[in-house]
Order: sequence, then C-alpha cells, then structure tokens
Amino acid sequence: MIAGIVQILLFQGLGEIIAHFVLTLIPGPVIGLVLLVVWLVVRKSVPATIDLVASALTQNLGLLFVPAATGVVLFLPQLKAHALAVAVSLIVSVVLTIAVPALVLKLIVKEPSGDA
Amino acid sequence: MTPELPAIHEIWVYLSGSPLLALTLTLGAYECGVLIYERANRHPVANPVAIAVIIVAVTITLIDMPYAKYFEGAQFVHFLLGSATVALAVPIYKGLAALRGRVFPLLLALFAGAATSIVSAVAIARALGADNAIVGGLYAKSVTAPIAMGIAERMHVSPTLTAVFAVTTGILGAVLARYVLDFVGSKAWWQRGFALGVASHGIGTSRAFSVHPEAGTYASIAMGMHGVLGAVLIPILVPYLPL
Repeated sequence: MIAGIVQILLFQGLGEIIAHFVLTLIPGPVIGLVLLVVWLVVRKSVPATIDLVASALTQNLGLLFVPAATGVVLFLPQLKAHALAVAVSLIVSVVLTIAVPALVLKLIVKEPSGDA
Repeated sequence: MTPELPAIHEIWVYLSGSPLLALTLTLGAYECGVLIYERANRHPVANPVAIAVIIVAVTITLIDMPYAKYFEGAQFVHFLLGSATVALAVPIYKGLAALRGRVFPLLLALFAGAATSIVSAVAIARALGADNAIVGGLYAKSVTAPIAMGIAERMHVSPTLTAVFAVTTGILGAVLARYVLDFVGSKAWWQRGFALGVASHGIGTSRAFSVHPEAGTYASIAMGMHGVLGAVLIPILVPYLPL
C-alpha cells in the first residue's frame, strides 16, 4: 500500500518537474500519467501495490472534486446573471458531444450484425 | 452554568481554525451523497458529487465560513486530484489490450467529439450573452475534472468554474446518454461507452460501467485519451478558434 503511494507520488513529482522545466503547456499530473502508462507497458503488468492505490483513488474520484467544485459559491451571482446561457450551452453541447462520436463510429466501422 | 459557555466557544474557535472541520465536512458530505445515490438505486440524477457540493456549500454559508478558509482545510483532499490523475494510468493500461484494430476510428471519433464540445458550448454561451469568465470555464468541460482544472490554470481561466462545468457536464451526460444514443441509433456497447466517455469523462465512465462492462472500459479509454490529448491540444488550439 505505502509502496504504491510512494511510486504514484514519484511519477507525479517527475511529471511536475518535466512540466515546470520542459513541457510547460501540459499539466504535471498528465505527464506523470503518460510516464506511468509507458512504464506499465514496458514491464507488461501492474504491480499489486500500485493497483491497490490506483483503484482506491479512481473509485473515490468524485470525493476529490468536492473542495474545488464548492467554489461555485464564489460564482453564484455571475452564474445567476447568465443562468440561461450556461444551462442551454451545457445541455445542448453535451447532447451533441455524445451524438457526434457515436455517429462517427457507427458510420466508419463496419461490424458484422449481431455484435451489437 | 456561565463558565461552560466560553469553553464551548473555545472549542468552536479551535475547530474552525484547524483542518479537522473542513475535512470532516467534506468526507461526511460525500458519504451522505453516496448513501443517497445508493438509496436512489444509482439513478444518475442523484449524483454524489452534486449532493456533497450542495451540503458543503449550504453548511459553510450557514456557519459563515469564507470559502478560502474552508479550502485551507480541504486542500488535503484537493491535493489528491493530482495523484488520482496519475493513477488513471492503471485503467488506461488495462484498457489498451481492448483497443485492437480500433485505434484509428476511435481517434477520429474523439477529435470530432472534442471539437463539437468546445465549439458548440462556446458558440451557444456567446450567442446568449455570457461573459468571458463564463466562456473560459467551458473550454475544458468535457475533460476529466482534475485535468480540466490543470488546463484552465495554463489558460488563465478559472479552474473553479471549469470544475463546476465539468462536473455538471458529467452528470448531464450520464443522465441523457441513453436517450441520445438510442436516438442516433448507436448499438454496439463499445461505441456507446466511448461516446459517453468523450462527452462526460469520469462521471459518464462510472455510469457506463454500471450499464455494461465493455461500455465502461471504452468510456475510460475515451476519458483518458480526451484528457491527455486535451491537455496538449486545447491550450494550443483554442486561441485559433473563430469564436
């Protein structure tokens, strides 16, 4: 468990260092993610300790958004003033963003019927 | 009787000064959210994150705690978002084997979906008169929240608004996906899952897993690809969009 935490923190730290000095446009944790995927591909398996920590984090991902998302209290007046624009934009956009990739895949992939 | 009053007051001062209160509130509110979600038979509308945010926001307003003060304590939870982003490597690695010969169609679908997300959201918000701060929060809304917040920081737009829009988008996608996918006639589970992952990142992915495992795997691949490519391309390409 602790070994898994240490390894994930090391990849995160390595990502932050690279983000700071080399790839300044990409967030550090994303670089850490890519490095960890590459490392897992190279060693061809997931170490049990990393697997344990990663599933604990990803299964409770929702919790980690709460402090930042609560910042909505700071934007309430602004959101109220633009409520219609925000609501219409979010709803229509998400409907289109689901529909477009689904249509692209449906049109360009010929699967034998029955695979559905 | 009177000597007890200062004692209670002192405890309150101590509690609101340490991270204990903010941490207990955050974890307790999320636990309430999860319990309500389970009670509602995992109905997408009863999203645990939305419930927790409402509980925390109402509580800190009632006890007159400024958001900055709350965040000072809750930052320990917030810090883990970075570690959780790195940890997404594990489900992505496990999903790689499932990709087989589908990399090209999936990339094409991802780019089409990502462009649709940004262009439609920004164009509609602008047409309805939203200001620059609101529009800036919409750029990365279909990217998983921890990465979206990183993108927002790099683009000098509000990470908080971005997080709020990302979570809202996740919930909306999870609620609406079934109807949209049926309407466009999408049938294969992997295609339905991938489309949901492109639009609604982590919240859509957990919804997809609860419907069908193949849909869930492809949703998590979509979320990971959108996160990594979005982090690279959104800050570079958005300034060139005619918006």
